[in-house]
Amino acid sequence: MGNNAFKINARDNIVVATQPIKKGEAVVVDGEPLIDAVEDIAAGYKVAIVEVAEGKKVYCYGEPIVEATRTIRPGEWTHVHNTRPIPGA
Amino acid sequence: MEFLGYKRENGKFGVRNHVLVLSSVACANGVVDAIARALPDVVPVTHVYGCGSGPEDIGVSIRTLNGLMNNPNVGAVLIIGLGCENVSSSMLTMGVQDKPVEALLIQESGGSAATTARGIEIAARFLKELEAQERVPAPVSELMVGLKSGGSDVFSGITANPAVGVAADRFVREGATVILTEMTEMAGTAHILKSRCCTPELGEQVGNLIDEHRRNVRASLGELAGLSISLGNIDGGLSSITEKSLGCIMKSGTTPITELIEHAGRPSRRGLIIMAGPGYDIDSMAAEAAAGSQIILFTTGRGTPAGFPAVPVIKITSNSLTYNKMPGDADINAGSIVDSEKTIDVVGREIFDFSIEVANGRKTCAEINRAIPFNYLKQGPTY
Repeated sequence: MGNNAFKINARDNIVVATQPIKKGEAVVVDGEPLIDAVEDIAAGYKVAIVEVAEGKKVYCYGEPIVEATRTIRPGEWTHVHNTRPIPGA
Repeated sequence: MEFLGYKRENGKFGVRNHVLVLSSVACANGVVDAIARALPDVVPVTHVYGCGSGPEDIGVSIRTLNGLMNNPNVGAVLIIGLGCENVSSSMLTMGVQDKPVEALLIQESGGSAATTARGIEIAARFLKELEAQERVPAPVSELMVGLKSGGSDVFSGITANPAVGVAADRFVREGATVILTEMTEMAGTAHILKSRCCTPELGEQVGNLIDEHRRNVRASLGELAGLSISLGNIDGGLSSITEKSLGCIMKSGTTPITELIEHAGRPSRRGLIIMAGPGYDIDSMAAEAAAGSQIILFTTGRGTPAGFPAVPVIKITSNSLTYNKMPGDADINAGSIVDSEKTIDVVGREIFDFSIEVANGRKTCAEINRAIPFNYLKQGPTY
């Protein structure tokens, strides 16, 4: 399957869309469909590949970058509307 | 592993053998430009400073100009001064070690035309002398590599920067020195960089300097500093300053940080060095060249043609669109990583291999284009 997303680090709970992904389409990394997108994802944006519960951290580069302000579903766009900077970071 | 370089009297090795023609003050730029028009093989270095600056700037001025003249890629130096400037030619001449250096003052040499004619004679002699020198094998551990990114985009942190990180790790494994600067782009990652320092003391210093830099940016930009993750960054997909900075420091790979040096200072250790300083491309490259970097690895998302005098700058684009829309400006396209053609490791090895070819004499795009802007960090007022 053609890749449309990129996983930066094995520990990450998000992947980055390398091209636009339509709602309902599979998010494909290294030829493997990981999850179906639950909304449209623009290129360069992050999409959760597992559930991230409210208050839990989003990992990118294998490091915590933000925390969820509400539960983020698998396949959901993960950005400033559902996360916030980690206090004190 | 070895490369072929020019051995200097102090034991260092250049990857180029340039004649540098440098203004000590902006008033001398016309003569420097005239010499370079007559002798296209010299590397002209002009700037807008050299006078009217206070104590805040004198240290960086002298360190940058001296460091550039002492860079191993420079085989000989001709300084063109006016005669009444603050950064005097004699002071600059005294700072040049182990290579031929001469200085001319326009006020003492019969004005612009006569100084130009005399400068052409001297620079032509230097070119002839350097032509006779041959490259000799040198260990890769003699290389110092500066890291830089400019015009970053959302793909910089996932393609070009991590691929440069792979190359940086390889350079450090070979015993070479790698310099990471751009402290503006370290905000939010102090905890990671601190944990990578060789000693807890060094970690504290690095953490404090990142915090200090952040405070200074805040004092200067006010509320906008909070947006140093900018609206454009957010539109591009970045969610926090930590995410943005993590992408930037990927260039440094994974090896321990061995030393923290001042802006345009000289490392005393090998391995991965952090240098104080801001992120502005030309100022950062000036400080890396002054530190002694013979090569700079420069990643870009939006695309920039800027190279640097006397130091080959290798351009690595983060995406194929930029690589293709500015043909002849980038040496390597890391966009192939998101195009699923190559892995980060493969592109990292390509960057390392290409760097060795450049060390051996292959010209970079910026060298072919003669894109060699020069500037250096100025922080104090102008009088």
